[in-house]
Amino acid sequence: MTGFGRRLAGKLAMGLVMVWAVATFTFFLVRALPGNPGDVQYENYILMGMSPGQAQARVNAVYGFTSHEPLPRQYGGYLWQLAQGNLGQSTSYSGVPVAHIIGSALPWTVIPVLSGLIVSFLIGVAAGVVAAVKRSSRWGGLLSLSGSVVAGVPTFVVALLLLLVFHTEWHLLPFGGTSDYEAGWNAPYVGSVIEHAVLPVCTYALLSYGGWLLAMKSSVISVLGDDFILAAELRGITPVTRARYIGRNAILPLFTVLALSFGLMFGGSIFIENTFDYPGLGSLLLKAIGTRDYTLMSGAFLLITVAVIAANILADLCYTLIDPRVRR
Amino acid sequence: MSEVSVRSLTIEYQTSAGWLPAVADAWLDLRPGEITGLVGESGSGKSTLALALLNAVPAPGRIAAGTVELAGVGDVTRLTGKQLRKVRGGALGYVFQASQNSLNPLKTIGRQLLDLGRSHEVADLRALIARAKDLADRMGLDGDRVLDSYQHQLSGGMRQRVGIVFALVLNAKVLILDEPTTALDMLSQASVLDIVRKVHDENQLSTLIITHDIGAVSEIADRLAVMYGGRIVEDGPLLDVLRRPSHPYTRALIGATARIAGDVDAARALPGRPPDLTTVARVGCVFRDRCGFAVETCATVEPVLAAWEDGGRRRACHVEPSTVLSGASGTPAAVGEPA
Repeated sequence: MTGFGRRLAGKLAMGLVMVWAVATFTFFLVRALPGNPGDVQYENYILMGMSPGQAQARVNAVYGFTSHEPLPRQYGGYLWQLAQGNLGQSTSYSGVPVAHIIGSALPWTVIPVLSGLIVSFLIGVAAGVVAAVKRSSRWGGLLSLSGSVVAGVPTFVVALLLLLVFHTEWHLLPFGGTSDYEAGWNAPYVGSVIEHAVLPVCTYALLSYGGWLLAMKSSVISVLGDDFILAAELRGITPVTRARYIGRNAILPLFTVLALSFGLMFGGSIFIENTFDYPGLGSLLLKAIGTRDYTLMSGAFLLITVAVIAANILADLCYTLIDPRVRR
Repeated sequence: MSEVSVRSLTIEYQTSAGWLPAVADAWLDLRPGEITGLVGESGSGKSTLALALLNAVPAPGRIAAGTVELAGVGDVTRLTGKQLRKVRGGALGYVFQASQNSLNPLKTIGRQLLDLGRSHEVADLRALIARAKDLADRMGLDGDRVLDSYQHQLSGGMRQRVGIVFALVLNAKVLILDEPTTALDMLSQASVLDIVRKVHDENQLSTLIITHDIGAVSEIADRLAVMYGGRIVEDGPLLDVLRRPSHPYTRALIGATARIAGDVDAARALPGRPPDLTTVARVGCVFRDRCGFAVETCATVEPVLAAWEDGGRRRACHVEPSTVLSGASGTPAAVGEPA
C-alpha cells in the first residue's frame, strides 16, 4: 500500500496548492467588489436619519478595526493568519471570529446537502438502471423523460413550488429557521428539525435526481453492450451475478460526478436556503455579500472550495479502491 | 456419433424489409476428437451460426427453423431458462476473440472462476480452482499468477488462453472458438493454435473454429466447412477440400490466399463484394453474381448441400464438380459487381 500512501500525499499537496490559489483569488475578488463595509453602513445610517458627520463618526466607531493597510500587506497578513487556522474577524457581526460564525452555520448546510445528495443518488441510480433495462418499453421512456424534465427545471422554481404546495396550500410542513423549539436532545426538537429540513432536502434531491438517472442510464446501456457481459451469459452466469457485473461497472464513472456535485450543491444552497429562510452557509454568504463583510465572504468561499477539493480527493481515493485499473 | 448435430438450421434477422435469413438450411456435425474449421468472409453468417449452437442468437435475430442436437442433452434450440444456462459453459464452451474483453475488468480471474462455479452449482470450488490452474499451467501460463490477475494485466495471447480455461474448466465437451487468432501477432497465433490442438486432443473435444483466415485454420483443423451468404457451400476433410476445392467460392477463396513461399501476385482477389442480409439473392444460388462457372439454372434454383463423392465431401453447386476442379471456366467472376 505504499503506492496508496504516495498517491494520498500527492493529492493532499495538490489540494493545498489549489486551496492557496482559491484563497488568493477570493481575497482579491471580494475586495474588488464595489463599495466597502463602511460605505454600506454609512448609507444605512444616513437612511436612518443621521447627519453625515454623525454617520461617519458611528462608522469609525463600529468599523474601527477595519484594516486600511495597502492590499499586498493585508494579503500577507491574511495568508499568515490563514496558515494558523485563523479566518479573521467578521465586520458585520462586530468582531466575532469568522470561523465561529461559519462553524455554527455549517451543519445546517452540510446535513441537508448530504442527505439530499444521497437520497437523489440512490433513487436516481436505481431509476437509471430500470430506465436502461426497460428502455424500449413505455415505462422506461417515461422514466427517462421524468429525469430530463426534472433536470431541466431551475432550482428556485422547484423550491418555490414545493413551498407553495406543502406549506402555503396544504400546511403540511413548516417554513423558516431550523426548528420551532430550543436546541436540545429531545423528541420535539429533533422532530421539528426534521420537519424543517424536509423541504430543503427534497429540493436538493430533485435538483440532482435527473442527472443521476440520465447518467446511470447511459452508463448501464454502454456496459450492457460490453463484450464481457455477453461472454458471461455464454458461460451460463446466473442473472443475479450478471446484474452485479453490470451494476458495479456502470456505477464507477458516477463516483467522480458525485464528488463534484457535492461542491455544486454547496453553491445551490444559496438559492435554496434563501427561499426556505434556512440559516445555513448559503444564507450566511448572501448576508455577507450584502454587508460587504470581506472576511466572512472569504471564509465562506474558502470553506466551499475546501469541501469540493476534499470531496474530489476522497472520490479519487475511492476510485483506486474500487477500480483495479487505476491502481499502480 | 456426433457430439453436436445441426439440422436444417435457419436463423433470421428482423430488418426494415422483414425477416431475412442470416443462416439458411445449415447442416453441420461436430464429432469427438475432430476440429472443424468454419471459414467465410465477414457477414457470411459464421458467427451467427456459432451463437445458435448455444441458442444465443442476439436480438433482433431468431432461430426460425431446424435443430441443434447436443449429445446427452437434446435440442438446444428448445432449451430455456436454467436448463439453457447450465448447457452454456457446462457442455458448450465458447471462447471469444482475443481483442474482445471477455472478462469483468473489476474482478480477478480467480474470483470470476468462482462466480462461474457458483453459477453452475459446483460443489467443490477448491477442485474447480485446482483444475483451472492445471489447465492454465498446461497452456504455458503461470496458473497462480493468472488467477490473481485482472484482465488488464494480461496480454492478448494470455487472455485467449484464459478464455479457453473458462470454456473448459467445467469439463465442456464442445469447444467453440470465435476468431481465435484475430488480433494476435504471428507468434501468439501459432502458440494459441498449438494449445488448442493440445487441449483438444487431451480432452477428446469436439471443436469448432470460426475464422476468416483459411491459412490459420488449415494448420490445425481436421474438417473444413465453407460459408458464403449464410449458406454452407462446401465441406469435407480439410486437406481434401484444400487440394481439390469443388465449389467455385472455395476455389476462389483458396486462390485469394497469399503464400509465404511464392509470388504474392499469384494470389488473386475475388472481384465483387460479399452480400449482406439485404443484398443476398433470394432465388437461385447466392454466389452466382461473382461466380465464373455460373450456368442458367443458378439464377433460378438454389443448390442444396449434398454428398458428391465418397470420403464425406458435400457441396452446394449446380456446376459439375469436374468442371470446377479442372477450372475450365478459368478466372472467377466474368460478371461485374452485383447491384
